[in-house]
Amino acid sequence: MRLLVLLFLVSMAVPAGAQPKEALTVDMPGDVATMDPHLQWDTESYTVYRNIFDNLVTRDGGGKIVPQVATGWRYSDETTIVFDLRTDIRFQDGSKLTPDDVAFSIRRIINPAFKSPQLSQFDQITSADVTGPAQVTLHTKTAYPVLMAQLVKLSIVPKAYVEKVGDQKFNQEPLGSGPYRLRTWQRGVQSVLDSVDNYWRGKLPFRTVTFRAVPDGPTRIADLRTGRADITRGLSPDDAESVKADKSLRLLPVATERVAYLFINTLATPTRDKRIRQAIAMAIDRDTIMASLQQGYARPVNIVLTPANFGYVADVPGWPYDPDGARALIKEAGAEGAVLSFITSPSYDRRLNEAVQQMLGDVGLKVDISVTDQPTFLRRRQGTPEDAGSLSQGRWSCACQDADGVIFPLFRSGSIWSKMNNPAFDVEVDAARIVLDPATRLEHYRRAFQVLREEVPGIGLFQDYAIYLARKELKWTPTANEAFFIMDMQWQP
Amino acid sequence: MSGKLSPGIIVILTLLAAFILAAAGADLLAHNDPLRQSLLMRLRPPGTFTATTSYPLGTDDLGRDLLARILYGARASLMVATLSVSVSLVVGTVVGLLAGWFRGWIEIVSMRLVDSVLSIPAILLAILTVAVLGPGFLTLVLVLGLTRWPRYTRVAYAQTLQVVTLPYIRAAEMAGCGPVRILLRHVLPNIAGPLIVVATSEFGLMILFEAGLSFLGLGVQPPYPSWGSIMAAGRQYVQRAWWLTVFPGVALFVLVLCVNLFGDWLRDSLDPRSLSR
Amino acid sequence: MIRHFAGRVGQAIVATSGVLTIVFFIMRLSGDPTLLLVPEGASAQQIAELRHALGFDRPLLVQYVAYLSDLAHLDLGQSVVQRASVAGIVAERIPYTMMLAAGALLVALGIGIPAGIVMAVWRGSIMERALAGFVLTGQSLPTFWSGILLILLFGVALGWLPSSGADSLQSLVMPSIALGALTMSTFARMTRIAVLDELSRDYVMAARARGLSLRTAVLRHVLRNASIPVVTIAALEVGNLLAGAVIVETVFAWPGIGQLAIQSIAARDFLVVQAIVLFVSTVYIGMNLLADIAYAVIDPRIRLER
Repeated sequence: MRLLVLLFLVSMAVPAGAQPKEALTVDMPGDVATMDPHLQWDTESYTVYRNIFDNLVTRDGGGKIVPQVATGWRYSDETTIVFDLRTDIRFQDGSKLTPDDVAFSIRRIINPAFKSPQLSQFDQITSADVTGPAQVTLHTKTAYPVLMAQLVKLSIVPKAYVEKVGDQKFNQEPLGSGPYRLRTWQRGVQSVLDSVDNYWRGKLPFRTVTFRAVPDGPTRIADLRTGRADITRGLSPDDAESVKADKSLRLLPVATERVAYLFINTLATPTRDKRIRQAIAMAIDRDTIMASLQQGYARPVNIVLTPANFGYVADVPGWPYDPDGARALIKEAGAEGAVLSFITSPSYDRRLNEAVQQMLGDVGLKVDISVTDQPTFLRRRQGTPEDAGSLSQGRWSCACQDADGVIFPLFRSGSIWSKMNNPAFDVEVDAARIVLDPATRLEHYRRAFQVLREEVPGIGLFQDYAIYLARKELKWTPTANEAFFIMDMQWQP
Repeated sequence: MSGKLSPGIIVILTLLAAFILAAAGADLLAHNDPLRQSLLMRLRPPGTFTATTSYPLGTDDLGRDLLARILYGARASLMVATLSVSVSLVVGTVVGLLAGWFRGWIEIVSMRLVDSVLSIPAILLAILTVAVLGPGFLTLVLVLGLTRWPRYTRVAYAQTLQVVTLPYIRAAEMAGCGPVRILLRHVLPNIAGPLIVVATSEFGLMILFEAGLSFLGLGVQPPYPSWGSIMAAGRQYVQRAWWLTVFPGVALFVLVLCVNLFGDWLRDSLDPRSLSR
Repeated sequence: MIRHFAGRVGQAIVATSGVLTIVFFIMRLSGDPTLLLVPEGASAQQIAELRHALGFDRPLLVQYVAYLSDLAHLDLGQSVVQRASVAGIVAERIPYTMMLAAGALLVALGIGIPAGIVMAVWRGSIMERALAGFVLTGQSLPTFWSGILLILLFGVALGWLPSSGADSLQSLVMPSIALGALTMSTFARMTRIAVLDELSRDYVMAARARGLSLRTAVLRHVLRNASIPVVTIAALEVGNLLAGAVIVETVFAWPGIGQLAIQSIAARDFLVVQAIVLFVSTVYIGMNLLADIAYAVIDPRIRLER
């Protein structure tokens, strides 16, 4: 009896903070769309399912691609890659993860009948075969330097389980080999994950993780202030400023691979005159935009790419902020008072649109902003040059951290996004995507960016930030690809 | 009309007149351009003064003068409400008159149409149409006008049925007056009263609808101001910049309050038997 | 009478089909969700392939017929965004909206009816004036504004109630108040008019002349008779509540079908939107029918012809 009292007193004396935190609560701006990692790939969905599944390879804190399910890989020729796999991984139902599962996962996502929206990111892969007790071999259509970057996004699913329960049920009740297992999912409300015992990568920081859908920014912040939630993402720069003074919270901003840019039509409307495009480049005060609209949560870029992407070159200069120079060019082009159409949708920061409108107005160009919903905007922007308007805002990320995923779709002639026809540019980006040597690729990209500098089919405005907010006890460093791995977090009271 | 002009109703009428004048004369009353941004003057509190100008009600998240935006926003509210009520009133009255006069299949079809339109969830249809046809002033007026007309039809129809039994209508018919003339000259004036009452209560509702749709992003589009969209944008800053939520909301509330009070007074004046007061 | 109501039901089905058809075509006229589903860098060919795989490149009439035949088999289809059964998705969210509507109805009835009665019985008093002002406020407040202010006051400043989400019964309080305010004022007005109307009737005069107190008269006879129009209004107001729920669910992040509708419209998730429209129309029409039945059955004095 006395022993019990003693123990009780001792446990009272131990400071409360020393108890490990069992449950983590994450507030997200929306709910998961699908739990099947081969279907939707929107931020909310992958935030959750990347904790349920393991991937073939992943990126470390510095952005380098490192092994996960695969222990290593080698190119036996330009289009054949052999992966060696771990043999000690188990799915959450206890079954072993075998090369069959890896091959199955790849085939599943590239199968057109499966209708994966992510197909376009993996369709350079032609086949995946089991070639040994712990080995899988992939073939690609041509030499594909971005393959590894794309495989970072490919999760391994259990063949036997998926075939047994079918795709629909797998989406409701996923089973992976990752550190956390789905316990419940209330659509539109929240999903709850439990930690897996004896996870192969090591000890897990929390027993339970709850992801809640809370669309309202100020409400997410309020939840963090009161401790109802421990971490949230998707803060705007204004939100971030308003919580700076709160000592119980910590802001976690990170520069991402997302580039904010201004698209300029080179094939139609008054902007087909290069002088007008160059004038526009000189009329935009990017520093003020970064300081006032982004509150400093932005990094300058001189090209339409961020330093977080392979292919970034720092020595291609941008255009200086020079309103007088802009006015002179516009006068030379006889374009004072020209009307430019700016198409956009509510998905883009309207303040940036209106700031651009005003800056261009100051140099003599009249900008008409037309807001439609997102599908209509996309249809116009991806349509004929006449349909696409003169200008629009973009926030581009290929989730691959490679220039090929950015400037190729944006500016290569023939792409639905591109309203530019420049053979010199096409040659460079075409070459850069079928050669594996990084140095050669970089040279091609350097030349490509020089063309872009001259032609100005787009202006890089800034490297965008992702801003997370957490209780100060949560130790975590977010990464440029906006990965959200619970395993990397720690609670230190 | 037997309404007496009590001090209360005078106050209300004055306020209503003030709103209308503010909307009409926004160009003169606003000494700042409601569309002019100033990224350095974002989210300033009411009573901010600079060397060149003042912001009596503060600024919004793009540094635009809130007072100017509220004045111009009054235009959006009043114009959308006026036009949509006009559309519903005309369409609804015409259908009701025709149904009540001609009876027969016109009556049957009209009443079925009324019931059908009444069973459409208006706000969903409004959201869909606006989201698809593109938001904008005209779409808003059309959608609001075309979903509310049945309310006028029911009243017009019921009243017409009563009025046509009146002796002097029969007399006019026998004298050879055509139906159009009778409807316009004799029937319409008699049913005008209740219709106006419906119109005033609908007016207040249309103002609220426009604000609600603008709040959801489906009404008046930026950068043109509408009280609803100002408040939607201000939601993010509701603690830091409370003025973006409070002032447009108060304006909206007071306007609708006055419209409703005026409607009540009108109803009492037109129908002394009315029990609403 | 049966024939009359059978006719109304038939008409209701026609109306619902009409609404569904309109919604079907309106949604598809401006494009499909393929562009929203694919990653940024997808090429025109990849987009076309996905569009074809999802069936959005078929002629509209073909899609319409396919939809109708699915409906006939009671199949509401698959959400193209969530890749799950539409019926399941919508069914999961309906209870939240039902709870919200019930809460709002409770607020509206619980406050509106007593207020109306008091205003009628104590006509001309200060209490009536005060209540009339209160009712007028409820009628004039924009729902989203009152919602935001409620959150500011009770959620943030005082911290008494949760400012969003649907965790507990407490989270139901503020949304119900915001949603119920307008309906409350409608009920208050209707009740007041109905009670006043009854109070002026001969039988009440007669009963009072016999010595019955006003209070007993009200409780025993007046309320029962005054409830007729109120009950019918209640059925119709449910429809209005569903409409207002769209805004309230947005402001309070309440995971009901209103919020789902807005998200699905933005994502062009056609089948989810259609299922919601079907549900809401059915409720609307059902409530209208109920009101008709109540009106005719409770008071046989009412003639069926309009």
